[in-house]
Amino acid sequence: MNPSLANRLTIGFAIAFAVLTGLAVIGVGRFLQQRQDFENATARSYQLEIAARGRLANGDHPAAARATIVGQHERRQSLSDDISGETRDTALLVGAGLIAGLTGAALLFSGLIASMRRPLEELVDASGRLAGGDLAARVKVGGLSETAVLGSAFNEMADELQRRAGERDQLDRMKDEFVLTASHELRSPLTSVQGFAELLMIEREQLSPKQADTVEIILDNTRHLVRLLNDLLDLARSDAGRLAIKPALTEVGALIGDAVKTMRGQTESSRQTLSESIETGLPAVDVDPDRIRQVLVNLLTNAHEYCPERASIEVTAVLDGTEVEIAVTDDGPGMPADQLEHIFDRFTRGDAGLTQRVGGTGLGLAISKSLVELHGGTIAADSRPGEGSTFSIRLPVVAAEPEKAAAP
Amino acid sequence: MTRVLVADDSETILLLLRTRLEMAGYEVETAADGQEVVDALHAKTPEQTPDVLLLDAMMPRKSGIDALRELRAEGVDTPALIVSAHQGESDANAPTDLEIGGYLTKPIDFDLLLGSIAELTAS
Repeated sequence: MNPSLANRLTIGFAIAFAVLTGLAVIGVGRFLQQRQDFENATARSYQLEIAARGRLANGDHPAAARATIVGQHERRQSLSDDISGETRDTALLVGAGLIAGLTGAALLFSGLIASMRRPLEELVDASGRLAGGDLAARVKVGGLSETAVLGSAFNEMADELQRRAGERDQLDRMKDEFVLTASHELRSPLTSVQGFAELLMIEREQLSPKQADTVEIILDNTRHLVRLLNDLLDLARSDAGRLAIKPALTEVGALIGDAVKTMRGQTESSRQTLSESIETGLPAVDVDPDRIRQVLVNLLTNAHEYCPERASIEVTAVLDGTEVEIAVTDDGPGMPADQLEHIFDRFTRGDAGLTQRVGGTGLGLAISKSLVELHGGTIAADSRPGEGSTFSIRLPVVAAEPEKAAAP
Repeated sequence: MTRVLVADDSETILLLLRTRLEMAGYEVETAADGQEVVDALHAKTPEQTPDVLLLDAMMPRKSGIDALRELRAEGVDTPALIVSAHQGESDANAPTDLEIGGYLTKPIDFDLLLGSIAELTAS
């Protein structure tokens, strides 16, 4: 068992109290004693002098009596000198004792404070590290029992936190592993279904129109399943912090051009207008081109699928401060505020009537949000019923390498 | 005629690949796992060696990657395509020392597959 602070304080106080009380008693006792002795000696001296004066008046040995009177007078003088010296000594003794006692008490308390301070500082430091995510932060347990108890309580708490974090990580890994495995296992049969359906479509002319339509439906749904699988995989990776991006300096114009080119066929078949307007002289952004293209294609796909025929869709890119803002604007049906609020949530889609026609997975915007945020950017949506929608992403521009000043 | 050795642990996928590749005019040989690929190549004379290997990345007994690693160590330099089930994961796990001609993900994009084979056998 470690000595406790309370015990030490009590003992310290008791010792200080005893020492100081003792000093006071001794000091006062000595002072009174000295005073008493002085008074007795002085009284005796006066008695002797009075007796001598009596003898002198009677003419009894006048010379001896006169000598006694002078002698007693000098004796009282010397007694008076002695008593003031002794009183000073007593005062000095008590004073010195007092100083020694107070110094001792001060040393004791500063010692106690010092012995608390190190473990407390260590605790403060470890709490900071723990709060900052360093789950391995622990303190040395020792010293006074209060700080020792505090320290071991802290360590137990940190152990528990670490154990739970470990369990949670393990669950996350299991979930991630499960999604990866499920995705892998589903892909082989999907490959077969899609592959053989495509095979049938190659020989389309040998099928009846009804059979051809049937195969087309199989293919559509297979593609939908594949998209769903890919999206689920991306989300699982994003949740597990394993959605990796490989940033490279990328031209915004080229990125948008690629995405627009990918979508051109689909928008043209719906007779939708797809245009782009890119501010000249935009700086390059440090992004994973594949991932940001995926986001843009996703936004364009949404615009294409939720807009009627002959709608117009525009992609714009402008520099705004230290960010490049890329926006996809359509003049489609738009959406009310309550829908807009949850638009980036998983499995959230536009209103049911529209989504029946639309083949999305309800995960695209959630993934887009993860991807943009992974790049240190933001994504936002703005829409009103009947007035179209705008989805915009903002990506930070890489700060130009500051010119290095010549070292003196 | 250009010979392609295809390895996948699913018979259905082997049938699909064989059909599509034969339609495109390739001579197709199949294997059910990486060990069969290695054994098949050991049993062949240099003239019989396939022109392209199309290997599934994950197979029981021996994966396509392991089979390719073994063959490369023996000095076999036949161009190889790896089919991976995990979209987007192929690049991250790609062994850089195996001279892999390309990655395909399931479901297989046949335009991409036929284009890659044509490219690898053109030289």
